Amino acid sequence: MSSNDITSDKNNSNFLQSIAVDNSRRDFFRTSAAGAFGAAALMGLVPNSIKTNAWAAGSDAPEITEVKIGFIPLTDCAPIVVAAEMGFDKKYGIKIIPQKQASWAAIRDKTVNGELHASHVLYGLVYGVQMGIGGQQKDMKVLMNLDHNGQAITLSNGLKDKGVKDGKTLKRLLDNENRDYIFANTFPTGTHAMWLNYWLAANGINPVTDIKSIVVPPPQMVANMRIGNMDGFCVGEPWGARAIADKVGFTVTTTQDIWLDHPEKVLGTTGEFVAKNPNTARAMIAAILEACKYIDAVENRAKVAKLISGKAYVNTSEEVIAGRFVGDYDNGIGKKWKDPNYMKFYQDGTVNFPYLSDGMWFLTQHKRWGLLKADPDYLSVATKVNEIKLYSEAAGLVGAAIPKDHMRSSKLMDGIVWDGKNPAAYAAGFKIKA
Amino acid sequence: MLRVMIVDNDVERTKPLKQSLLDTGYEVIAHLRDTVNLDDACCELKPDIVIIDTDSPSRDTLENICVMTMNEPRPIVMFTHDGDKEQIKLATQAGVCAYVVGSIPNERLRPVIDAAVARFEEFKHLREALNEANNKLNERKVIERAKGLIMKQRKIDEDEAYSLLRSMAMQKNMRIASLSEQIVEAAQLLL
Repeated sequence: MSSNDITSDKNNSNFLQSIAVDNSRRDFFRTSAAGAFGAAALMGLVPNSIKTNAWAAGSDAPEITEVKIGFIPLTDCAPIVVAAEMGFDKKYGIKIIPQKQASWAAIRDKTVNGELHASHVLYGLVYGVQMGIGGQQKDMKVLMNLDHNGQAITLSNGLKDKGVKDGKTLKRLLDNENRDYIFANTFPTGTHAMWLNYWLAANGINPVTDIKSIVVPPPQMVANMRIGNMDGFCVGEPWGARAIADKVGFTVTTTQDIWLDHPEKVLGTTGEFVAKNPNTARAMIAAILEACKYIDAVENRAKVAKLISGKAYVNTSEEVIAGRFVGDYDNGIGKKWKDPNYMKFYQDGTVNFPYLSDGMWFLTQHKRWGLLKADPDYLSVATKVNEIKLYSEAAGLVGAAIPKDHMRSSKLMDGIVWDGKNPAAYAAGFKIKA
Repeated sequence: MLRVMIVDNDVERTKPLKQSLLDTGYEVIAHLRDTVNLDDACCELKPDIVIIDTDSPSRDTLENICVMTMNEPRPIVMFTHDGDKEQIKLATQAGVCAYVVGSIPNERLRPVIDAAVARFEEFKHLREALNEANNKLNERKVIERAKGLIMKQRKIDEDEAYSLLRSMAMQKNMRIASLSEQIVEAAQLLL
């Protein structure tokens, strides 16, 4: 019996006929798709010399148009998510594919081996890899800074019950009650480790000898504090706010009170990627810079909080993100305030410029805490890592201001000024160090 | 003797690794599922090497332990100094990540890493084979259903129904299973 017999038998086989029709349509699509591929294959025959000439003639078309950018579920992954979700990427001829990662180690490994083209990453981590701390050295790039402020140090309710409410009372407890005090950060060379160390030291506590430092993944901080595994932690929002919402601890300080407008996460990649794909790198900076500008407008923040709270991104309730995102702070022990120095993403580009002094600061702290055994050539490392040229070109496209000076000056919580001028002396000058 | 600690929520995957390490004379000092107390466990048990899933969030905890105790260089195997990129790639694809807490020469580490990669790979293949077998089974089921439909509609026997299916699949240049799937779907709509 042939297949014709099936379709010609009208009494009971119309369903088979409908399948046959459906299939022929599929074949049509298949054929036309093959045609399109054929055209692409023909384009492949255009000699390379002609293509390169087109580039040399001034085209700044991205070398790679689909870019995978890694991120960790934190409030400040917003620029990557917004650039991709709201189409700022398309404007610059690229498609950003955000890739959620489970650890900073995974971000580092995948960025270094090229599985990720770039990442939302801790400023200090990029410099740690550049210096070969805890792993193989690799030439890295900071393409832009993503945010200022908006991290916090949380202390446990157990410490509160012992009368701790600030750095001074914590120091008193440590002096009087002899036990192991455990403080968590997020990565040994990262920003939170440096904020925590700086704050402890400014309060007379040596983070190397007086406490035990551990690392806990940000989304697990609150759970760990709840079961009594730690006395304090420093982490990015929303996890500080979450500790208060879950009633496990209180905010003893925000990081903007340690260093007002401190550098934080960056868009990081490898030197190799930038050398091979300068146009893609520029397009990424421009798209994300424009996203930063969008996020910084207060009227857009609620929408952004909602967007990033989703399961694919930060995966927590929108309310936990939204409050501190616009400066509504509650420290969990009775103080509520409107903080003008909440997490900033743009501020006419002053947030994003890869200041050499910002990069050098992390090197000075790595030296201070013994992660670096000797003083590096601070300025030449920062000049190599921070990609001022591409950043400035991208800022030009977006219309962001470009500061004339590649250094900036800040006074930190202990009154000490950092202006990038004498890094070795600055690193050696702290009373408390490793 | 090297003291190995395994951290993985997937015990099914790491059990064979544990056995093979024991068989080759390594000491497997701990097999942790819950990583909440990873830091304490490392401090108390002092493993020489920790084998962990590449995508585990607890990797940063181990990074810290390695950096904080680095009086001498402690290689993290993902960044081995012997520069064997293929080996690293293989390990990553298998999902193996290893941290060395201590300074141990590469030649002593190698067998542990190799065993971990091999076992993880084996597990991956087993899982793939299982998936394939399941798919095959599902395909057989759908072909049976399509055959049943044709038999009922056309009042023919099983062999005839099957040869009808087969010849139509050949004519349409489709797999019998895909055609059967469409028949079953279409039947839901039309009958």
